[in-house]
Amino acid sequence: MRRSERDTTSSGRTLAWVERYRIFLLFAVIFVFMSVFAPRFFNVFNLTSILRMVAMNATVAIGFTIVLICAQLDLSIGTVITFAGVVGLSLKEPLGYALSVPIAIAAGAMVGLFNGVLVAKAKISSFIVTLGTLTILQGAIYTITGGNTISLSTPDAFAVSDFLAGPLIPLITPRILLMLGLVAAFELFLRRTRTGRNFYLVGGNRNTAWLAGINTDRYLIAAFVLSGTLAAIGGVFFAMESSAATLRMGDQSLMYVISATIIGGTAMTGGKGGVFRSFVAVLALEMLYTGVILFGLGNEVKIFIAGLILAAVVLYEAYAYYRHQREIGKRPELIRELAAGTTRAHAAVDAASDGAGGKA
Amino acid sequence: MRRMVSMLAVLALLLAATSGVFAAGAREGATGDAAGNLEASLAVDTSGLLSADGQPLLRVSDDDRAVPTRPADPSALPQTDPLHWYDMEWAGWAADKSAIPESPRTGAIGRRIVFIVHGDHPWTTACTLGAQKVADAYNMELKALSPNWDLAVQNQMIDQAINERPDMILLIPLDARTAPQQARRIHRAGIPLILFNTLPDAAAMDYAITWTGPDDFGQFRLLARTFADELRRLHPGAGEIGIAYVQHAPGGSPYFARSWGPVSELAGYAPEIKTLDMQAPGFEADRTMQLVSDWLTRFGSELKGIIAADDSAQALGIVEALRRAGREDVVVVAAGNSKVGMDLVQDGRLFAITYQTAEGDGALAVQTAADWFNGKEIPMRRNLAQHIITQSDVGDFYPPQW
Repeated sequence: MRRSERDTTSSGRTLAWVERYRIFLLFAVIFVFMSVFAPRFFNVFNLTSILRMVAMNATVAIGFTIVLICAQLDLSIGTVITFAGVVGLSLKEPLGYALSVPIAIAAGAMVGLFNGVLVAKAKISSFIVTLGTLTILQGAIYTITGGNTISLSTPDAFAVSDFLAGPLIPLITPRILLMLGLVAAFELFLRRTRTGRNFYLVGGNRNTAWLAGINTDRYLIAAFVLSGTLAAIGGVFFAMESSAATLRMGDQSLMYVISATIIGGTAMTGGKGGVFRSFVAVLALEMLYTGVILFGLGNEVKIFIAGLILAAVVLYEAYAYYRHQREIGKRPELIRELAAGTTRAHAAVDAASDGAGGKA
Repeated sequence: MRRMVSMLAVLALLLAATSGVFAAGAREGATGDAAGNLEASLAVDTSGLLSADGQPLLRVSDDDRAVPTRPADPSALPQTDPLHWYDMEWAGWAADKSAIPESPRTGAIGRRIVFIVHGDHPWTTACTLGAQKVADAYNMELKALSPNWDLAVQNQMIDQAINERPDMILLIPLDARTAPQQARRIHRAGIPLILFNTLPDAAAMDYAITWTGPDDFGQFRLLARTFADELRRLHPGAGEIGIAYVQHAPGGSPYFARSWGPVSELAGYAPEIKTLDMQAPGFEADRTMQLVSDWLTRFGSELKGIIAADDSAQALGIVEALRRAGREDVVVVAAGNSKVGMDLVQDGRLFAITYQTAEGDGALAVQTAADWFNGKEIPMRRNLAQHIITQSDVGDFYPPQW
């Protein structure tokens, strides 16, 4: 093998490795950097705080990742978070958490079902459907609350809040444990079960999946139901820990979760990605945000950095897609053979012309 | 591959552990000898400090109204009854302060304070500037954090502040009703807390040393009377005078104080004034303009006055809608004294605004913190002085603070 070819193969392998593990590398770089330079970053309190902060968005990101793997979008996740929080806390007094929480989660699932049916059966773009749901839910939230934050300042509500926020073991509170359990369960489900892998087939090529005998509509609906359910779980448990549900509690989550999922490597074109990667991306972003605060920098710096990272990832994705398209159908060995053949032919022609010149 | 990931993880843990040790060492070194600090702190005089508008920085209210008795169930009263809003308007007066720590009486000089506001805004910049002026006078270290109106980020900042173990946290709660849990969390971490600017739910007051800031309800009751007097002057003998409210963002105490404060005040002071509508269009001039244009179409000449929660973007939207409709007879009053608001008062397009010193708000919170470190008695609440600015005295408040 010639040296240039060997170099190309080696750099290509490195690039592929970096691409494959980029979110883990990003996580390691941010973690090491913040641990070394950010004041009071590496201690149990702060790391627990980071995990508590990601608990809601990481839970929501699970469902969003599944929707994105199916090559769809769910813009309603932020309002479902708020809606579930509002429903869960509003019904707490008359029904107790034992009933209000399942009702709030079921409400999220119903929103997901509504989205899924319209996308799968009515063939309406998921962007339009979920944008509509977002607006309807915002109106519903204002109607239910009358514009007021729902809060509970009773001893039993505080007791539940303390339980959810209190450590079971260092770093792990019940809400963090719930999030980790859901991430692990859905990662295994998507990777290790046939049903889970079918979501990738549906997102990768819906027609091929259908031809392979997969009920694609059912998978699309299931993806939206999961997204709604998980957004509701994230929202209602966050509200329970805060003992309050504000009318804008989920507003910031949409962009956060979209950014993290894409940075985590889930392709917007569908068929590629993973729940664990999204979780690591949420964690990496949160560490970055916390570090920014610990450095005493403003929220605007945090938004700027998050935007930069997202822009870099999206640009890279666009480049990778371009490169992939350019390579489709190419047979490098044939091109090399053709080039070698051309060189030999040229050499033969040169030799023949040299011979002819000698005779002349 | 697996080996490389393991190596990275080990490296990360090693570096982090090392930095943790260094950080702990630095903290120990920072703890200085506080002996004699109290005497020096008590000698600091902040009474001569001025805000950018040339007014005294620290203008504390001398309001000595008696605190009314709390009704058994304020929410059972109609919303037009001032006592319906008792738990907001009088939040803090009945708080149980038994769990609040005693002042260390070791002086304010050299204290570290984390100052958490609600969001990025020119008002917040002026507020932080005022806080910094008092902090500088006491040589306090003031770290300001802004969550940009995001409750989750504010909760995160509270956690970070607790993590830093400052001598005190000063907090503008983003939402009155989430404040109790935030205050409770800081209290449980053993860090003294002062709430300021936005009135929290009464339950939060049990966990805070005190609350400082503008008496929003009181200011708006005062503004409502000035507004009613002007409407009566313009429409003498009118059986009914229709007005509308452009509200603050839902959730915070200004949302209630700046609409239900005047509603409940006017119900008693000027019952002929009727509320036609209340809407919270946010803080964009164009959306407010659209809202007011809709009102002008819907209510026509019935609409005689508007009370706005904000004297900048909202006021601009209102004034522009009235100008386009040729309805400059409508009396408009608003909260705050931004440059925009004061210019509109000077031009006669706003009738009156409240004097709400942004610098003074931040300054009063820090001054109260200093007083607590100095062992002074701290009242249950400490309000800023109230004043209504009209065209006759707006010139006294230039240049504006923001």
